Amino acid sequence: MTPRAEGRARFLVAPAAILLAAGLFGVASPGFLSLDNGLSMAGQIWILALLAVGQMFAIAARGFDISVGAVAALSGTLGAMAANAIGLPGLLLAVPVGLACGTVNGWLIGRARFQPIVATLGTLLAVKGLALLVSDDGQVVPLEAAARAAALSFDAVAGLPPLGWAALAAVGLAHVVLRHMLVGRRILMLGSNPEAVALVGAVPWRIEMSAYQLCGAFAGLAGALMTARAGAGLPTEGAGMELQSIAAAVIGGTVLAGGRANVWAVLAGATFVQVVLTGLNLSGVSPFIAQIAVGAVILASGLMDAGLRTLLTRFSRLSPPKGTFR
Amino acid sequence: MMAKRLPGTSRPLRLSRPPAVALVCLGLFLLCCAFVPRFATFGNIENVLRVASILCVVACGQAVVILLGGIEFSFGASAALASVVTVMALPVLGPVGGLATGGASVIAIGAVNGFLVGRLALPPVIVTLGTLMMASGAAAWLVGGLPIDAPPSAAFSWPARGRVLGVPVPILAALLACAALHLMLAHGRIGRLWYHVGANPVAARLAGLDVTRITTLGYAVAGAFCAVGAIILTSRVASGQPALAPNLPFETIAACAIGGLPLSGGRGRVSQVVFGVLTVAMLNNAVVLINLPVAWQLVLLGLAVLAAVGLQKDWAVLARLARRTDR
Amino acid sequence: MSASDDAPSDDTRDDLALVATGIAKVYGATCALRSARLALRRGRVHALLGENGAGKSTLVKILVGAVTPDAGHIALAGAPVAFGSVTQAIRAGIVPIYQHLSLFPELSIHENLSAFALAAGGGLWTGRRLVDPARARGWLKEVGLDVDLAAPLGSLSLGERQLVEVARALSLDCRVLVLDEPTAALNADEADRLFAVVRRLCASGTAALFISHRFDEIEALADEVTVLRDGRTVIDAAPIGRHSREELTHAMLGAGVEAAPARLSERAAPVLVGRGLAAGRHGRGSLDVIVHAGEIVGLAGLIGSGALSLAATLGGAQAGPGELSVGDASFMPGDRRRAAALGIAYVPADRHAEGLFGALSARRNASVSGLGRLARLGWLRARAEAQMVDPLLRRLKLHPALPEAEAATFSGGNQQKLLIARGLAVPGLKAMVLLEPTRGVDVAARGVIHDAIREAAASGVAVLVATSDLDELMVLAHRYLVVREGTLAAELPRSAPRAALLAALSGSAAA
Repeated sequence: MTPRAEGRARFLVAPAAILLAAGLFGVASPGFLSLDNGLSMAGQIWILALLAVGQMFAIAARGFDISVGAVAALSGTLGAMAANAIGLPGLLLAVPVGLACGTVNGWLIGRARFQPIVATLGTLLAVKGLALLVSDDGQVVPLEAAARAAALSFDAVAGLPPLGWAALAAVGLAHVVLRHMLVGRRILMLGSNPEAVALVGAVPWRIEMSAYQLCGAFAGLAGALMTARAGAGLPTEGAGMELQSIAAAVIGGTVLAGGRANVWAVLAGATFVQVVLTGLNLSGVSPFIAQIAVGAVILASGLMDAGLRTLLTRFSRLSPPKGTFR
Repeated sequence: MMAKRLPGTSRPLRLSRPPAVALVCLGLFLLCCAFVPRFATFGNIENVLRVASILCVVACGQAVVILLGGIEFSFGASAALASVVTVMALPVLGPVGGLATGGASVIAIGAVNGFLVGRLALPPVIVTLGTLMMASGAAAWLVGGLPIDAPPSAAFSWPARGRVLGVPVPILAALLACAALHLMLAHGRIGRLWYHVGANPVAARLAGLDVTRITTLGYAVAGAFCAVGAIILTSRVASGQPALAPNLPFETIAACAIGGLPLSGGRGRVSQVVFGVLTVAMLNNAVVLINLPVAWQLVLLGLAVLAAVGLQKDWAVLARLARRTDR
Repeated sequence: MSASDDAPSDDTRDDLALVATGIAKVYGATCALRSARLALRRGRVHALLGENGAGKSTLVKILVGAVTPDAGHIALAGAPVAFGSVTQAIRAGIVPIYQHLSLFPELSIHENLSAFALAAGGGLWTGRRLVDPARARGWLKEVGLDVDLAAPLGSLSLGERQLVEVARALSLDCRVLVLDEPTAALNADEADRLFAVVRRLCASGTAALFISHRFDEIEALADEVTVLRDGRTVIDAAPIGRHSREELTHAMLGAGVEAAPARLSERAAPVLVGRGLAAGRHGRGSLDVIVHAGEIVGLAGLIGSGALSLAATLGGAQAGPGELSVGDASFMPGDRRRAAALGIAYVPADRHAEGLFGALSARRNASVSGLGRLARLGWLRARAEAQMVDPLLRRLKLHPALPEAEAATFSGGNQQKLLIARGLAVPGLKAMVLLEPTRGVDVAARGVIHDAIREAAASGVAVLVATSDLDELMVLAHRYLVVREGTLAAELPRSAPRAALLAALSGSAAA
């Protein structure tokens, strides 16, 4: 396989996996391939999709962010409080809250040179604790405008609920950022060759910080969606989301070693995870088995990344294996 | 002894110099004694040690993985799985057999992690997060998501509530775990190999070491430490809990990081782990005693991790300066 | 021959593109540059020669703004300049071409050609930063590349990527082109294309600085040559052709000490045998190497020749075609574990990346390959470890003599001693393979290490030393194998004169 073909194949894994899984579940439970189920899933994928797209930016810059689930919970809870105070648009406060968390991560990783795992672990704990603190030890914060929020989250308009459309727009925006804006391009440059970034005149730490800021902002938006769907701010939600988001991003072809990403493929990766969860559910399998399946999917994503990487080094002259000479 | 000192050595190196975290730990202890009500009572101290002991056993396992340059997130989930497996196996195998089966399942998960990281070179984060999901899913599936109670039995409650010569068993287990890890790291061949692989895996391969086997074994041994912790936890809650200790990996990683183990691997001593664990346990205890919301435990833990890692660089600089003035 | 033979050129001549004088740079205890001088003229290709440690790469880094000099002046077209960063140097028109350091394999060729514009400054959109496709295609055409602009750079060969880097230089207002060993990864055809572009650029008034170890290329491309040795300019801007290859090599390496190598008493049994090996990744698997007991074979080759790669294969550190055996036992290239178990010590060339355990003590660094022998039932006997390693460290004069100090705290020379000690401590040592055993090492440590290698050979160990340091080769080896362009170009006896070695290394007709 040439590197070029490999590059494309990588982004086709998720769509292919969706088709395969949908086919299997269609056989297993006839209801799965119905229009109703399709529409219902189309409304469900967005929280994970937004988290995965954010995660994609961090992975593309050769890092990752394990605090996204906690950040979504905190920003969703604060969003609910703001919405109760000033009306439903206040929910959007979640985005700047997420952005602030992302800025802290980005500063720690880019400027203070923390390893991504340590920095985001630290913020994960602190943010989780903050979410409990602002909510009186984990009490859900009911949304006063819950009915309107539910309408926005569940009543389909032209196939998708309004918030689904909004999330789709945000994913589209992520695509624009990655493909057409300098920020996105620089993140890819940093992930592709960190040493070279400074040589061509960019400031590496600012790029790294922007990647985590984007990640945080998308986690904040996911938190707002979470609150709207549940009709309440859920300060203890989000555990496990960071894992699913990493899995979705990697299945969506984001290279763990950085430098290569495609937003639509990541969306497909998130969809795949949702298809597996819903499909198992409709097939009458216990939700806990579905959790095992998601774990297997995470491991599979790692194997896929490693497998494609091996192919890449074996069949191209891209980078020599460790411990040898050029 | 001639063999130990080369000519020109001014004086023997003080190898047992206490780690920097010991000072932090001592300072925190004195602060707590002075300002936290009911902290400096015998009952509370024993309570702190009891809580710290489980954390300590598991942190010993986490330390092995971190020494190898990896990280282990699956501990909490595999402890939960162990508790469920134990309670389910109780009627068939009895208390001892049940606890052994539960422990074995944790070791098995550790070995799987080790194989995937060591043999297939997958990133430790992805691997252990994946097995975390699978183990916690399996634990919940086995009991349908709800905890199941264990029939009361003296043997079953011994690991958590028993005493040997007046010392609570968990504390004894922690002491034994620390001693075992110390022996492995300071005198055992396998510990030495972990240091080598963690410090520079490429150089380890070129020196002729079997990096794959060493890594796999390391994760399995880490699983064994976690298994001991899981047995004590299961015995303490006297039930199979599918959501037993979700924060266990975070707390153990935090303890190691606060103790000063660099997450890049290759460095670390048991004493650092012990003081890191004590710091975490005292922080948690103080938060409860001052009547702060329990959430403060998480916030303080997160901040402590970031502060410890941030300070580590400064400590390294100080240590180097100190060495230079030694000469 | 000395610097004074070449009349220093007049620094005020108006065709001078760049003049650097009195450049000095000190790193800690090592003096990388003492007083270097370099004068590039417009429209000329200037070759810079010097062996490892001569200060060449430091001088280049200073010119391109990556390193600030401690002393000296740089003038660009007569005006004094001081660069704080690579970007500043590029804005001033000094464009570096690295081997493949500053390209982005995952990005498209178009994006790579626009990298400078994409990387710097504010703004939101990439669209206007991408260079005009027509112009980009023009640059690619100029370097002889016919590729799709949208294709990822990673789909090109290393040579083609190099040409992309040159094409990118065309996009900048380039006054001085710095080519740092640009041909190391190129095949002959790609190198020719590169040279044609450089010549065309120079014809339009650009000055080029060309760093290479290959005399063929230097003679083919360069107009003038400067030679550095020990941080000083020893030949200053001499026209090419004034000095022969031997004279240039001699200037690079210095007078040297022509010490007689240790005497090899008799032809002993073969110990380390490699058949059908390859030197370098593009080499064919056709090389046979035999090292006998008690013999020191010097594997000589200039940088990029494949000598180090061949040595790594022989040590079991690098996979490749062919098979290896030591005594009666055979092993596959790349099976370093088995090689070590069979008693083959290996000292890698890159001390920090591949050799040292910086976080561990000196003693532990030295004992790692012999741990199997120190363990009883998994228990390491500390006293046995000290007894095994400390005498070696003493013999190698480890300084400071603190076997329990962390390896990272020692100087480079003493770190290298630890790697040598590790090799000597391999249980059942039958053969040693050493790559650049004294690179970046001070004179005293060098002597100690050489003595240790000789002693090992005298005790019957088969030794293979791969080095690009000619002096080292001549004081150590009983026999020379010369690697050039991935082939064994010559085998010379220890009595071979320096000139013959130089000729074989550089591939001049005199060989």
